[in-house]
Amino acid sequence: MSRLIAFCFLLLAAVLGFLHIDSRPIWAPFSEPSQEISQASESEEGQAPAPALIADPVTKADKAAKVTKIASPIASSISTPQPKFDWLPSTEAPSVHAASLVTLKDGSVRAFWFAGSREGAPDVVINSAVFDPKTASWSDPTVVIDRMGMEIGLSRYIAKLGNPVPARLADGRLQLFVVTVSMGGWAGSSISSMISDDEGKSWGRPQRLITSPLINLSTLVKSPALTFADGRLGLPAYHEWIGRFGELIRVEGSSAIDKRRMSSGRDSIQPAIFIDDAQKASAFFRQTRASSQAKKIPVSITTNAGQSWQVADDLDIANPNSAIAALSLKNGTRIMVLNNIEAGRHRLVMVMNRSGSSEWTVVQVLEDDEALPNEQRREFSYPFLLSADGGDAHLVYTWDRKKIRHIYFPAAWLKQTQSELDKQSLVDSEGAR
Amino acid sequence: MDNFMQHFALIELSFTCAVLMIWLIQKMMPFQLPVVARIIFAILFANLFFWPLGFSMALPLSAYVRGLTGDLSVVTSLLLWTSVLLNPKPIPLGFKWAMIVIAIAFYPFALGVGMMDPYAWGYGSIALLIAVLIFAIACGVANWTRAVWILAIAIIAWSVHWHESTNLWDYVLDPFLAIWALWAALYAIGQKRKEKARSGYLFRAG
Repeated sequence: MSRLIAFCFLLLAAVLGFLHIDSRPIWAPFSEPSQEISQASESEEGQAPAPALIADPVTKADKAAKVTKIASPIASSISTPQPKFDWLPSTEAPSVHAASLVTLKDGSVRAFWFAGSREGAPDVVINSAVFDPKTASWSDPTVVIDRMGMEIGLSRYIAKLGNPVPARLADGRLQLFVVTVSMGGWAGSSISSMISDDEGKSWGRPQRLITSPLINLSTLVKSPALTFADGRLGLPAYHEWIGRFGELIRVEGSSAIDKRRMSSGRDSIQPAIFIDDAQKASAFFRQTRASSQAKKIPVSITTNAGQSWQVADDLDIANPNSAIAALSLKNGTRIMVLNNIEAGRHRLVMVMNRSGSSEWTVVQVLEDDEALPNEQRREFSYPFLLSADGGDAHLVYTWDRKKIRHIYFPAAWLKQTQSELDKQSLVDSEGAR
Repeated sequence: MDNFMQHFALIELSFTCAVLMIWLIQKMMPFQLPVVARIIFAILFANLFFWPLGFSMALPLSAYVRGLTGDLSVVTSLLLWTSVLLNPKPIPLGFKWAMIVIAIAFYPFALGVGMMDPYAWGYGSIALLIAVLIFAIACGVANWTRAVWILAIAIIAWSVHWHESTNLWDYVLDPFLAIWALWAALYAIGQKRKEKARSGYLFRAG
């Protein structure tokens, strides 16, 4: 009799389970970035003279990547608005890292980063500041959350905080994903998230994303989220404990509702995604390979909106086990910021994709300590790119772990650079004939 | 609802810690406590873990445990609670072996071997739900009704999003259950060998 009652209860559970599965949202296509037809090769009337292209010089890494290099447009173009360099406001913390950005509704840009006595210290907090494009200045920094706030919100012990990554939800609110660790190093990380109704001035209670079956250990986030056509977020995450691989997590509210593996094994983390159309996308990774293996950028592609990924050939650009940032502009221009060297993080460049090709070209050397002795070289790492209006680009990156550098690339500068790049491609292809 | 979820998770874990204390006490005592006494003690001990104790700790004890273990699966919690607090039939060896086989097949792939991720099935795979139901029916047919109840409760908990996880795997399996199954199965093999050796000694030709 008791067995019969138990089976009846199981039947009830089965019905509820099936209803639950039936209520789950189906996987949606990518939300396509609204693209203009690329006019990059057509020079606009009244524009500044083009930045001059020079033949590929010097570094071994550049040769390996088969890239050409543009002389700094800063020097060559006078009337084209030039990139503007500044710093995120100081918090007096000795160590800062992992800055990220999000556009606010009024057109300003909010930055997040972590700061403390050292990376992984219990006193690390998540800081934020707002960049006003009208005055080109940053607000005073504020503390978004510290370790204790995270502990109380999540109702569990938290040892340290890590990478913050913001995203804009379909309903207009802001969501901030933050890496947290309860035990061990970064391999013991989990992702938590908070939601803000007031553009990041205040934040709701943090909540944990459950993404791994082994005590939810070892899921981190670094790259910006993408949006699916149904308004839900796709969060490019990665594991770095037993395996080192990328995953695309589908997020609804503060819960992971599905996820797909983007790579496997122990060689690729921190995916940065370029969306081609509603179904196709490619992901570029930070390589974490053994010293005997190629120090190139691993690539995965999808043709079904991220439901499955295939590992493709490496991108022929050197990567020293360091993060890359990727950005698509409205006109189709694609840029990445990365360390194009095989060891160290002392050189940081911007590369741009030639229209309609898979070739990447260094268009701006942002930092380069190549000439300095090893011990004097500084670290330039963890770049993060954002476009506030679809045509411009904001870049933030860690500057020697002491400061966060911010560079603003005006739309006109990027357009001009793309135009020159395409002209050069034309010259190259005609020369080849 | 989210606030309640956090409170329920802490209550659950506090009770689990309390039940583990009862189990330890039972191990040290020469006699078995009555069921009612065990339940009362478990509730009393659970309070110790649930309420913040002050001193230099900002959180209750169970929150520190939760930081290390996360939320235990519903199957683990209910198996532990019922095994320690009630006087149920012993857990069949077949269940332990099944858990070991599932864990060995599951964890390597779920943690990054290859591009197939069985953990992702837990978010909404009908096939996985049917597999769990068949497993529960098999336990019932094998006359272990407790498992039918426990698995049914786990499925219901998953469908109402009881824990933070939306993944069915997190409600039916966790590493602690797999480690316990492995230890218990090996212990059972050891016991059988001992018994065999003893009986062999008794009936050996002189």
